[in-house]
Amino acid sequence: MSERITLEELAELMRKSAGVTVPPAELQQRSDTGFDALGVDSLGLLGIVGELENRYGAAMPPDAERSKTPRQFLDLVNTALMTGA
Amino acid sequence: MSASRPRRAAVTGIGVIAPNGASTETFWKSTKEGISVLDRITREGCEHLPLRVAGEVRDFDPAAAVEGRYLVQTDRFTHFAMAAADFAMEDARFGRAEVDGAPFSVGVITAAGSGGGEFGQRELQQLWGKGSRFVGPYQSIAWFYAASTGQISIRRGLKGPCGVVAADEAGGLDALAHAARAVRRGTDVIVAGSTEAPLAPYSMVCQLGYDELSTVEDPTRAYRPFTGAACGFVPAEGGAMLVVEGEDTARERGAPVRAYLAGHAATFTGASRWERSREGLAQAVRGALDEAGCAPEEIDVVFADALGVPEADRAEALAIVDALGAHGRRVPVTAPKTGIGRGYGAAPVLDAAAAVLAMEQSVVPPTPNVFDICHDLDLVTGRARAVEARTALVLSRGLMGSNSALVLRHGADT
Repeated sequence: MSERITLEELAELMRKSAGVTVPPAELQQRSDTGFDALGVDSLGLLGIVGELENRYGAAMPPDAERSKTPRQFLDLVNTALMTGA
Repeated sequence: MSASRPRRAAVTGIGVIAPNGASTETFWKSTKEGISVLDRITREGCEHLPLRVAGEVRDFDPAAAVEGRYLVQTDRFTHFAMAAADFAMEDARFGRAEVDGAPFSVGVITAAGSGGGEFGQRELQQLWGKGSRFVGPYQSIAWFYAASTGQISIRRGLKGPCGVVAADEAGGLDALAHAARAVRRGTDVIVAGSTEAPLAPYSMVCQLGYDELSTVEDPTRAYRPFTGAACGFVPAEGGAMLVVEGEDTARERGAPVRAYLAGHAATFTGASRWERSREGLAQAVRGALDEAGCAPEEIDVVFADALGVPEADRAEALAIVDALGAHGRRVPVTAPKTGIGRGYGAAPVLDAAAAVLAMEQSVVPPTPNVFDICHDLDLVTGRARAVEARTALVLSRGLMGSNSALVLRHGADT
């Protein structure tokens, strides 16, 4: 699998799974900001991971739901998607 | 505390989201005018069910009332609760500055009869339709009875004692009593009440098992307690939240005391054993009067439970006389819920809100759709009645067997 999860997709998932709206451009700027500060709690991140797993038909690394920031999260899941295919 | 007079629990704020109005003002205006909003159920997915009439909250936009994250993360019953809590706190002039000044002295207590049925149904459909991986994690908290208490506490930063009464209808009054007790024990403010959202397909199917449910299709005939045509009750959604506060703190910050929660008692006589509820309800009234230090003759208005089942109506009419003596036949009794339906735990909290407003405005609202009473009660029907009410009694019984009574005193009484 060569797909990468983009910041746009993460922003869309945050809105859909956690009800938190952060425009992609802002998320780009704040990619080192903690999910908690962005308004995404642990259940929200768990929901995002579940949605990605369903979407891509692949298991995400167990640490994904413990990611602190969007950048950390995207690095983890994209590494997994590329190596796990 | 010393042997001095115990701290009084005051009502300083009222917030209502009801079928007849998504604000306290609209609710009270419609209630006073005796307007019935009972109507055919329009909620999607409910058309084929034999329950046809209910009190739907139609004038409420969740997206305008709560933030996006709560729309996704919580059920409709919690949207109602958060909106009603906002109204109540605004009414009490208890805002962010007041909360931030002493967050640990402000708590939340709600009552819930069924939790978040609509949210739960959606996720369970995902579970059985697609598989466990398609159930969202917020299912774990959104359909929970305690969800509204927790979410109000988080959203408004209230860190004081919190609780939930998971019970039948009478739980709404018990939640107010818990709030009063917390205030007497030293917590300054409790945001307390109940909201319910039982008008979704799964929740409605659950209710079909209740023998007491009215399945009459004509909204004007579906819910007529205390009459020969009584044929059960009509359910409703919505509810009310109150700000319950220590009288001293209310006075210190200059917030008007709208009423006092003066006395409460609860008993249990078994599910659907309505004949026995006579004794249980009478005992609850005696207990509430006793705690309030109130003589039966001091009760100026009674907000009845009004189940609409002949045996239960008879038991309630007799219980009122058992507990209040001959005064029970003379005191004005009302049941405004016949115009909006019976919102489970939320129903008696709406009655408590109406009782406060009735005392403030010296008017007892009528009992819509009800004529030709077949019990020895002075039921206020047709139109509102002018009554100088200083003390009100609110009654509630639940389908699972709880009986509860609450005595409220006028805010100007000291």
